[in-house]
Amino acid sequence: MIGQAPKPRLLARSFWLAWRDLVLELRGRSGLLAAVFFLATVLLILGLALGPAPRQLAQAAPGVLWVALALAGSLLANRAFGLEVEDGTLEQLLLLPGEREWIYFGKLLFQFSLQVSVGLVLLVLTAGLFYLPLAAWPGIILTLVLGSLGYASISTFYAGLLVRLRGREVLLPLLLFPLVVPVVLAAVRATAGLAQGDWSEVGAWWRLLGSFDVIYVTVCALLFPGILEGG
Amino acid sequence: MERATTLKRSDPWVRLWLGAGFLTLLAGFYFALSAPPDANQGWLVRIMYIHVPTAWVGYLAFFGCLYYSVAYVIRRKEHYDRMAAVSAELGLIFLGLAIFTGSLWGRPTWGVYWTWDPRLTTTAILFVVYVGYFVLRAAIEDPELRAKAAAGVGILGSINVPISYMSVVWWRSLHQIQSINLMTGRVTIAPPMLLALMVNLAAFSLLFIGIARLRGQIALREALLEEEP
Amino acid sequence: MEALLEARQVSKRYGREWVLRRIELSLKPGGIVALVGPNGSGKTTLLYVLAGLLRPTRGSVLRRGQVGLLSSPPAFYRHFTGEENLLFQLRLSGLEQRRREIPELLARVGLPLGKRVFEYSSGMKKRLGLAQLLLFRPAILLLDEPEAALDAQGQELIEVLLHEQTQSGGGVVLATHDPRWWGRAEACLTLERRR
Repeated sequence: MIGQAPKPRLLARSFWLAWRDLVLELRGRSGLLAAVFFLATVLLILGLALGPAPRQLAQAAPGVLWVALALAGSLLANRAFGLEVEDGTLEQLLLLPGEREWIYFGKLLFQFSLQVSVGLVLLVLTAGLFYLPLAAWPGIILTLVLGSLGYASISTFYAGLLVRLRGREVLLPLLLFPLVVPVVLAAVRATAGLAQGDWSEVGAWWRLLGSFDVIYVTVCALLFPGILEGG
Repeated sequence: MERATTLKRSDPWVRLWLGAGFLTLLAGFYFALSAPPDANQGWLVRIMYIHVPTAWVGYLAFFGCLYYSVAYVIRRKEHYDRMAAVSAELGLIFLGLAIFTGSLWGRPTWGVYWTWDPRLTTTAILFVVYVGYFVLRAAIEDPELRAKAAAGVGILGSINVPISYMSVVWWRSLHQIQSINLMTGRVTIAPPMLLALMVNLAAFSLLFIGIARLRGQIALREALLEEEP
Repeated sequence: MEALLEARQVSKRYGREWVLRRIELSLKPGGIVALVGPNGSGKTTLLYVLAGLLRPTRGSVLRRGQVGLLSSPPAFYRHFTGEENLLFQLRLSGLEQRRREIPELLARVGLPLGKRVFEYSSGMKKRLGLAQLLLFRPAILLLDEPEAALDAQGQELIEVLLHEQTQSGGGVVLATHDPRWWGRAEACLTLERRR
């Protein structure tokens, strides 16, 4: 008996894709741990370069945090489609009927989760090494979330674009960094404002981040199926 | 595949645009040299007659690239991809020139090679986007994949420009940095200078259209060298 | 009767080279089409185009049914077990309730439970691929050298799969070096290498 054609359900598929990636990431791939240690080292080096005066470190703290996050995002993006490259499994995803935006959303969710998690670790480290005041921590975490979403929206798209290219380790940051300038800028200013207890600019920067997120997630999701091999 | 029309050695439209462009350029040259020096900057202001048009053309090219990238995504015709690449190429050259002449102008005039001015910063970001555009094109051999990838980068890079611009403007305004207006500086524009500027703008624009068209035809000829199945 | 799969004037170019040139193919329900040709003649590329994973440079492909592909070598997530791979596919298709069928299916193709795919031999991966096809029963089966790496028992499984597929009105396109299958097919498409 010929089987029923699978019913496409966008959200469920995105969820399971992200879930699988996260499970497999935790299950056997030590690359994530190496990335975190690398970033901790970057913080150390920056601390040595900019310190030891606590006031200077505290002033530099938001910038340092987001530079480290930008590097993190670029490293993580290399792993966004890593499984598909290593195991050759992109085809099976493409064979499923229906529109292919779900592949983008699933990968975005995966990247976003990783980035926020790494971001929390970096936040703690920055608070320690750079004396970043955490009194306004809900706001700082909100900034982390908004910024990570914006960053991940682009890094996921480009990771998918470059999935079969060999030079992608260099190409990805080159394409990524110019586009995420507004994200980093807004996130740093918002974090700085929150750290100093000065809320005057924070709202405006959050709005910028929010609009950026909406615009880029939408545009990338629309373009993504077109840039895949069979699209 | 588009049935290629036979290409004459030089297409009459190309000759028209380039011819008009060169003539206008000559006029512009004359006006630029005959315009009076600026009260503050002296003869240095003449760099403006090159700097502003190159920046203008650079942004024209960027719009062109955006237009053709979107057109390719919708219609998937090779012609659009070719023209997007041509626009990006010209954009890269002219924006590079704009940044360079701006720098040349800035140093003796205001003492700095670079300011974090919104326009300049956004231009620099756009420049890097274009560099990435071409590195990406060079890395993909299959024409169809290349076109799709390039269109993606072209579109994402372009919508980034207004956002980047706004964020840099806010960033600076918070610190109340005096903005050195790199377009005209503290130059009071007298009518002869305005005339020279406009004429040069027109000249560069005409040349841009002519070069773009010519370059597009060269690209088409390169593509036609490929065999049929 | 309407064809399950039709390729019209399909041509595919990679860079400067035309790998597929004006292919015409029609797969009827219950039919088998064999793709024959030396390595590098474009069989895998053609299967991918038929599956919808690649866009033809010229021409078109019409599909009237779900497509299942068995690649050579088959692709699975190495750090998942066989059953986890199948479960994931079920979830993507919204068919999670059928997870009970998995252990039985794996037993049928002769695979142990609880083993991660990186421990599988190439023959075992093939069997997992066959299990996936048996699980989903797509109307159109595209098989790329299914006989490779399979022992006699494995070959029998292919026989069974082909038989069940054609009996229930599905179709099979089979790229193969094995002459035994050429006779079974109603149509053979021979691909050549240009050089």
